[in-house]
Amino acid sequence: MAIATRGTSSNYLQRAPSPSGLAEVLDVILDKGLVIDAFVRISVIGIELVTIDARIVIASVDTYLRFAEAVNRLDLAETGGADITDLRSGGSDGKTRGVLEGAKEALTGDDQKEKQRSR
Amino acid sequence: MRAGAIDAPRVDGVSGRPVATIESNGLAAVVSELAERRLRVRRRDLLGHLRVLESVFDDTTIVPCAFGMVLPSREAVASDFLAARRNELLGLLERLDGRAQLNVTASYDEEEILREIVATDPRVARGRQQTRVLGRAGHFASIQLGELVAGALAERREADGGRLLGRLAAESDDVVAEATDELTVLKASFLVEGPDRFDAVLEQVAKDEAPRIRFEAIGPLPPTAFAELRAGG
Repeated sequence: MAIATRGTSSNYLQRAPSPSGLAEVLDVILDKGLVIDAFVRISVIGIELVTIDARIVIASVDTYLRFAEAVNRLDLAETGGADITDLRSGGSDGKTRGVLEGAKEALTGDDQKEKQRSR
Repeated sequence: MRAGAIDAPRVDGVSGRPVATIESNGLAAVVSELAERRLRVRRRDLLGHLRVLESVFDDTTIVPCAFGMVLPSREAVASDFLAARRNELLGLLERLDGRAQLNVTASYDEEEILREIVATDPRVARGRQQTRVLGRAGHFASIQLGELVAGALAERREADGGRLLGRLAAESDDVVAEATDELTVLKASFLVEGPDRFDAVLEQVAKDEAPRIRFEAIGPLPPTAFAELRAGG
């Protein structure tokens, strides 16, 4: 079967013919594929397991604080009431990524950089 | 894969070792030799495995094996694997013939979904006002607010994820879906016969769900998520 390249990506659908980055590669071949228990299997140790941990759901105080932070950063039209003083420091408008997405990338690490270093 | 379907793949496999084929009665296994008894797995080993799968998949039907299956000798591959499991392997080859896998991830746009939650849940809106006033003094209030938002997200994930899965699964032969958290709505592998037709439906679904939800699709991929033996291994 030929692997065809599909149409272009848009901002609602991004297409890639092949996984890039360790997390996506692991999604395809880790714990996937034919397994016959009788045959010795190499266990996957000795690589960055932090990436695998990204698949574990963590509900914790840290998560809740991040959600609260993200909601507070929303720029909504305030209706009535007194001036609301934002006591939090470092609120920059220059950030292009949301707080939740930023945290997730910190967890999975910078795969692209590592990929180039290991070659 | 079926014997004779292709010449030996052109890419190197695990540990950068060359890849060869071992045949038995119409079936062939694509293998490489393991240099050491213990392998310290590196990124390039995983990539090597994937690239071999992709290379073979480009030309013929393949039953992808999980990373790290090791047999003691070439003879063992032929007898203990290809011959011993012949019927199951033939069945899998037939099932996977002409099929490809597409990995689809759908995620909320963070700002869109949070705005929606604030707008639809008065407790969240109130909690937000409160924490904005309290600032750093409102640590506990922030935790409560965050917990409310987490709950609202979970409800939406369940409803939206179910809907998306239903629409896409209808276009596929099989699907394996994973649990999601936070902003991820859907994370699933679809086994499809016609990637173009599935892609057209995916495109439409993505358009329908924009801008609240965004999609990523990887593939066509060798069908690693669907290479399971029915009877126990």
